[in-house]
Amino acid sequence: MNTAPSDLELIALIERIAARTEGAERDAELALKALYDATAGKLYGLALRVVSSRDHAEDVVQEAYLTIWRVAGDYRAALSPPLAWMGVITRSRALDFLRRRASERADLHTELDEHVSETVAGNAPNPMDTAQASEQAWALHECLRKLEGKQREAVSLAYLRDLSHGELAEQLKIPLGTVKTWIRRGLESLRGCMGSLA
Amino acid sequence: MNISKNPALLDHLAASYALGTLRGGARRRFESLARESVIVRAQALIWQERMAAMTELEAQQSPSPNVWKRIENLVQAQRAQAAAAPAVAGLSAMLETMRRNLMLWRTAAVGAALTCAVTLMVLPWQAAPKVEYVAVLAGESAQANILVTFDPGNKRLTLKRVGSFQEDEGKSLQLWALPASGPQSLGVLGRDAQVRLTALENQIQDVPALAISLEPKGGVPAGQGPSGPILFKGALLKTTL
Repeated sequence: MNTAPSDLELIALIERIAARTEGAERDAELALKALYDATAGKLYGLALRVVSSRDHAEDVVQEAYLTIWRVAGDYRAALSPPLAWMGVITRSRALDFLRRRASERADLHTELDEHVSETVAGNAPNPMDTAQASEQAWALHECLRKLEGKQREAVSLAYLRDLSHGELAEQLKIPLGTVKTWIRRGLESLRGCMGSLA
Repeated sequence: MNISKNPALLDHLAASYALGTLRGGARRRFESLARESVIVRAQALIWQERMAAMTELEAQQSPSPNVWKRIENLVQAQRAQAAAAPAVAGLSAMLETMRRNLMLWRTAAVGAALTCAVTLMVLPWQAAPKVEYVAVLAGESAQANILVTFDPGNKRLTLKRVGSFQEDEGKSLQLWALPASGPQSLGVLGRDAQVRLTALENQIQDVPALAISLEPKGGVPAGQGPSGPILFKGALLKTTL
């Protein structure tokens, strides 16, 4: 896990998983293990950010790799960098989890709040990690860096946790008007920046 | 207004759409425009791709080594099941299959005592490591409702709701061990689809059955037996791995 695997290596692993046939799954299982070793830390970091509990994030990661195992054959059509494709799957499993919980528990926000204030305070200077990121992610990273810490936090939480302006205001304990301004300015800045890079 | 002729507005809407902050009627209008116009659709896809990169930017963290074990076991369990049921995919599908098998079994067993009947399904769980106790708790409707596994190594009881039963807001479900000496509380269930409780092996071993009662919110006070009706009940089986 020390050297970041290249996109081509990850793609080759996904294709080995997709190529399995009934009764001949050994190679696919080895490929899944290699894919897991190369990417689990990354996907777990993402899951943890979305669901904010280690136990639950581990359940999300488990579901994510089982999904990857199942839908590896769709990767070719996705046209995305492998880690982004896997990231989107993980986010979607994590959001399923949050929705399930939100419908079951009313105290969800209380729990999330604590974690959010932690991440806002703890990681504000540079919460991002491009060690394994695709070119596309690197461009987004460069553009997000141009935002103020809090704007960046609001934009990335809006996406990662699929939050509305109102939910963001509640979780970040910030007036709705401020959230709307941050998101609007954040998106303006991203639009200009991404437009010039990509 | 034709937004495909207003590039700045289109770009802004597409970015908000992909971020997820475009909501309600505005979101629905944008979606119908995207269906009609390839320019709008393309812009939405570009922004979805850009935002997707957000998932690559979180710092790495180390999950517990158990996570891989669980994945490996589930993948192998699926393969073991594939011969019998090719459509099986994923844990939820697996549970669904278990539930159906259970119902078939029950149909075959019509005439047997229906109240609080007990069934055990061990097949998919045999592949999981360290799971040594399994019970399927069912109620009068003769439908599996709660799947219980106990891993003595981690002292972890895992309950999975596989039926549609959901208690009212003001009530809680409470899990009981039913040794000969009388019911012992094993804990109160949260409202989640999956509930984890902690138990010691000596609370579980030699217990012939588990049961779930419907109690006031938070459960009965410590030391007391169940006060509400027993909703689900099932025998506890120690699996040999």
